[in-house]
Amino acid sequence: MATMVDNLTARQSINLELDDIQSGALHERPSPYVGTYLLLRIDNRAAGRELVRRLLGIVDSARPSTDSARDAWITVAFTYEGLKALGVPQDSLDSFAPEFKQGMAARAAELGDVGESSPAHWEKPLGTPDVHVALAALSPDSTRLEATLARARRALEELAGVTLIWRQDCYQLPTGRTSFGFKDGIGQPAVEGSGIAGSNPNEAPIKAGEFILGYPDETAGLPPMPTPDVLGRNGTYIVFRKLHTRVAAYRRYLQAKAKDREGAALLGAKMVGRWQSGAPLVLSPDRDDPELGADPHRNNDFLYRDDLRGFKCPAGAHARRANPRDALDNDGSVNVGLHRMIRRGTSYGPMLPEGVLEEDGVDRGIIFVFAGAHLKRQFEFVKTQWLNNGIFIGVPIDKDPLAGPNDGSGGFTVPEKPIRRRLRNLPAFVVTRGGEYGFAPGLRALRWLAELET
Amino acid sequence: MPTSLTETTRPGLSVGPTSEFSLFFHVKLGQEEGLREALRALQDTPGYRPGDYGMAVATIHEARFVLFDNDTRLAFVTSFDGPWDAYMEDFFTSGPTLALFDVIFRHVEGYEGLPDLAALKALIYGAQETAAAYARNYGGTVMEIRKQQRVNDAFQQVLDDPKAAEALQHRALKPLLDEAGA
Ligand code: HEM
Repeated sequence: MATMVDNLTARQSINLELDDIQSGALHERPSPYVGTYLLLRIDNRAAGRELVRRLLGIVDSARPSTDSARDAWITVAFTYEGLKALGVPQDSLDSFAPEFKQGMAARAAELGDVGESSPAHWEKPLGTPDVHVALAALSPDSTRLEATLARARRALEELAGVTLIWRQDCYQLPTGRTSFGFKDGIGQPAVEGSGIAGSNPNEAPIKAGEFILGYPDETAGLPPMPTPDVLGRNGTYIVFRKLHTRVAAYRRYLQAKAKDREGAALLGAKMVGRWQSGAPLVLSPDRDDPELGADPHRNNDFLYRDDLRGFKCPAGAHARRANPRDALDNDGSVNVGLHRMIRRGTSYGPMLPEGVLEEDGVDRGIIFVFAGAHLKRQFEFVKTQWLNNGIFIGVPIDKDPLAGPNDGSGGFTVPEKPIRRRLRNLPAFVVTRGGEYGFAPGLRALRWLAELET
Repeated sequence: MPTSLTETTRPGLSVGPTSEFSLFFHVKLGQEEGLREALRALQDTPGYRPGDYGMAVATIHEARFVLFDNDTRLAFVTSFDGPWDAYMEDFFTSGPTLALFDVIFRHVEGYEGLPDLAALKALIYGAQETAAAYARNYGGTVMEIRKQQRVNDAFQQVLDDPKAAEALQHRALKPLLDEAGA
């Protein structure tokens, strides 16, 4: 979207301090991948700082490397309670984003985490004040993951006062797809100055300050940054959500609404905005095109301007809601560049075997991970304004068919000639099992935290 | 359509998806005439011209600027689809609103000019007053109402066809036939 601020801003390229930024946010997820999330509680301030000191030795920077051992990495983030436990001074604590200070559980009603998804039902310790530190280890294979985890374990050794309270393993399914059957992790913003090439040649790179604190953002200003400077700079906010997927219910629903397998595949694609292979509906409206889905140069190369009425990709489809690209440009009220996010989601749990339509009681789903400079106008905006209702597309009662808080009250419209298809009473296919807001500091900031003397 | 009047955690009352949004400013001393001139010019722009519908921001139902207290105060009053404060940064960084904002609000106290977003937000939050009562006579967002207008125009066109009465006899069209008489 051409904005006036854009015109006012000199198009100077930005020098990101890649040596100081943690690897996680800017590092593309390998494929295939295996990973582990660990949550820690700090019971003793000194032990917590010793932990941070040890983690400094195993957390990588975002500086590109040709060393294949560095294809596995660890990211560390702290919750607000965690920063408190480390003894971060009050004026500094006060300088963090209000949503981060409240924590995700306190934001539940706002975020649509209600009913079965409400914090009362969350998996413990998610959403409790016990969660202080989150470690995420990602790797292309289990050998390198084990090596990385061994280093994390050493960091925890003989450290009474820091307790491992939760572990979640994740891995890419053999199909390369997530539990509902779709290829994921395709749509990502290009970040100015990061060296990461964007996947959509139609979109200008997004200002680095939208994702990393301390740099100009899309408003031409600096994002609000925690103080002191050394703590905030090169940090990023993190959203972590464990989302259980009801795969059997989803399959039964598609089957009930479609005449045949092709019909079910098409309806599934209409709900996502892409076919299972990842091929976007805008580029391949009538049938899946696995070659297109697999081609990183083409599978994100599209806009919605030729499909404003949604005959190819419904306005209510998940990916179109989550990133409407140019679809809202005529509304005059939305600057899409303010609502982008880096996603680092992964898949957990085994696949529900093909064709199975009954729930097998096994937990499977997605670990949704967001990185960005603005919890409120990026993650919370997208969730509350674009996924949780349909005000912005002229159908207020409709929620995102996959990620919306569906309770049977909303529907989904598939534009079609001669007559649109309207699905009503959409049930929930996704249940929030818990989550946290975190802050992933830069490496200098980690040192500052380790050396706190309060 | 939900019609409950809810006071959310956000500033402003809402009815269904629509929320009221009212701002009250102090006019800079000696700028009364300049401001009136800017508003006259605004009234001449597309969307604001008499007979025009289709304002630059497609999610507001209507907008009014009112000078009061001997032109020492300016009110801006509108109804917005969605929670307005979620869209604050969008307003100030996307073309149409930004330009409109600048020529008018440069005449009010506290406006420091573009592009200081933090100052702009502070100005808006400082000027916003939540209504003490708010009601609406129709449900629906601007987008829904425009769609309803298009559908009604089409329906009237159908009714103007001499064959309409016969065509509307089909069972599936009963709800339309019920609306066709008057
Ligand atoms: C279990 C829940 C979810 C599932 C199964 C899911 C699945 C998907 C799939 C299949 C895609 C298309 C492939 C891709 O571009 O990666 C996608 C895209 C996306 N999703 Fe989700 N998602 C979920 C939750 C969320 C949530 C909670 C958010 C944000 C609040 C979100 C934001 C996005 C974004 C931003 C895109 C990229 C859109 C684009 O750039 O075109 N998703 N998701």
